[in-house]
Amino acid sequence: MGQGILRYLRMYAQLGQYTLAREMSFRGNFLVKVSVEVIWLGILLAFYATVFGMTNTIAEWNRPQYLFFVGAFFTLNGIIETFFLENCNDFAELVRTGDLDFLLLKPIDEQFLITCRRIDWGTAPNLLMGGGVMVVSLYQMGWPFDLVRLLTFLVTFGCGIAIAYCFMLLLTALSVWMIRNQSLMEMWWLFSSLARYPKEIFKGTWAQPIGIFFTFVMPILLVVNVPANAMVRALEPSMVVFTLVSTVLLFWLSRRFFLHALRSYRSASS
Amino acid sequence: MPIIEAEGLTKTYRVFQKKEGLLGSLRGLYRREYKDVRAVDDISFSIEPGEMVAFLGPNGAGKTTTLKMLSGLIYPTSGEASVLGFVPSLRADAFRRRFALVMGQKNQLWWDLPAADSFQLNREIYSIPAPEFQKTLNELTELLGVEKLTRQAVRELSLGERMKMELIAALLHQPQLLLLDEPTIGLDVVAQVAIQKCLRDYHTRRGVTMLLTSHYMRDVEALCDRVLVIAHGRLVHDGPLSGIVERFGHAKLVKLEFADGVAPDDLGRFGEVTRREGPSADLKVERSRVAEVLGAILDRHAVADVSVQDPPLEQLIARVFEEGRRSHDAA
Repeated sequence: MGQGILRYLRMYAQLGQYTLAREMSFRGNFLVKVSVEVIWLGILLAFYATVFGMTNTIAEWNRPQYLFFVGAFFTLNGIIETFFLENCNDFAELVRTGDLDFLLLKPIDEQFLITCRRIDWGTAPNLLMGGGVMVVSLYQMGWPFDLVRLLTFLVTFGCGIAIAYCFMLLLTALSVWMIRNQSLMEMWWLFSSLARYPKEIFKGTWAQPIGIFFTFVMPILLVVNVPANAMVRALEPSMVVFTLVSTVLLFWLSRRFFLHALRSYRSASS
Repeated sequence: MPIIEAEGLTKTYRVFQKKEGLLGSLRGLYRREYKDVRAVDDISFSIEPGEMVAFLGPNGAGKTTTLKMLSGLIYPTSGEASVLGFVPSLRADAFRRRFALVMGQKNQLWWDLPAADSFQLNREIYSIPAPEFQKTLNELTELLGVEKLTRQAVRELSLGERMKMELIAALLHQPQLLLLDEPTIGLDVVAQVAIQKCLRDYHTRRGVTMLLTSHYMRDVEALCDRVLVIAHGRLVHDGPLSGIVERFGHAKLVKLEFADGVAPDDLGRFGEVTRREGPSADLKVERSRVAEVLGAILDRHAVADVSVQDPPLEQLIARVFEEGRRSHDAA
């Protein structure tokens, strides 16, 4: 077991090294990507600074708390984009061209090789920027160190990443039947748009059922809300447990669905 | 015990039938028509360890589909296969460690990186101990004469060089079974010969079992003793290459050079004249009548030179394919 994990870690390190070497050989592209992400974060922060110039809270979150939420979202989004998004997005093309053949022939877990084989280093600085925003917000609110909250945050944040990954895997698996799956990016945009806001914004006759649906049925709202809430607002054990259970269930379901999809792979003609 | 056993292997695809034009496309959005296509139809054969077998057939005959079923990439609709003692479609790691598939039209190496980096990644994936990896790599690069090219980005290599690197990547883990799908496609004669030589040498050294598809008869003649001919998804011949000549080569080609300086006019009575130029003439004669015809010609005319040949293998194979098509259409 330990040997197996070590083997996968070594492989992942090697894949990371190769993708970095590849990215560096296209320096211009790398710099443009990083600049776009910096500008995007700048726009987000400027927008929220403007909003908080007019009000003290957004959906019950005060300024530093909201800043922490934005930082957590930016980090999570950065992790997904850096480690998984490009791989999942490439999957439809692998199916269409039949290049998936070579990945399926390797004596290694297919899900690992398909979803983790490339690291998009151009979006990796998002992790640092998001982390920086979180640290600044904690400093601004004078956050008293609390080990329980910190550990809860780390665990639920990990769950948030896993939930986001599982949703992406479910969408990716559809490519086996759809062949062209440009909708994956649109679906991911919808996912990240939902995850970007506190769940408290879903109030009122129309919005509340949507909030409930995306919390308890399709638990997209858990991914940033629960960890950020646990860290800088109220620690709700029931929501933490629900997040853990949702993660395990989604992981099981998405993996089964993905492996089932691979059984339907037709392999394009050579 | 056979290394490959296929019993009634069948693969049927459901193919969407798109109607012509924009209206047809719109109709396809709500009502789709499908057709079942039998890519492989009830194929049975077995291959013993160490054999080098060619899989021949026209485009769309089902060769690649069969290779893909044997390698576990696609699931058979019916029938069974056992490869190296495993059921391929289960794709067990232990199974995937023991064979390799090389596809001439596809690239498994990292395009923007040197082949050496892809080799290192394969070392990790197949858990090859470092000394063994280095030894095999040295052996293969030397065999293919590409020692100095492994640090060059794959996209900067020629097609022939790239194919050699593909072959190295496939052989690094020392597979017991090598499945090759058109390994020399698009290559010039020099590169084709180099690949053939490498495969032959590697087979001699390691005794690896090979199943090869190719459109180049030169590959087949150079490498394989046994051929499986598939047409329209059905196996129409399984036996030695010479068996094709015996079974389908009903006629022989008699090449004549007449001493009088001009080929006589009465040759048509002995067989079909396929060429006639000055003193030379080619005559297609029934295999069983060759001796009799030669005797008759030599009795009547002064012949300076004579040779009897089998028709080119390509022609015979084309005939096998044609017979396969006819029996398929008749069925």
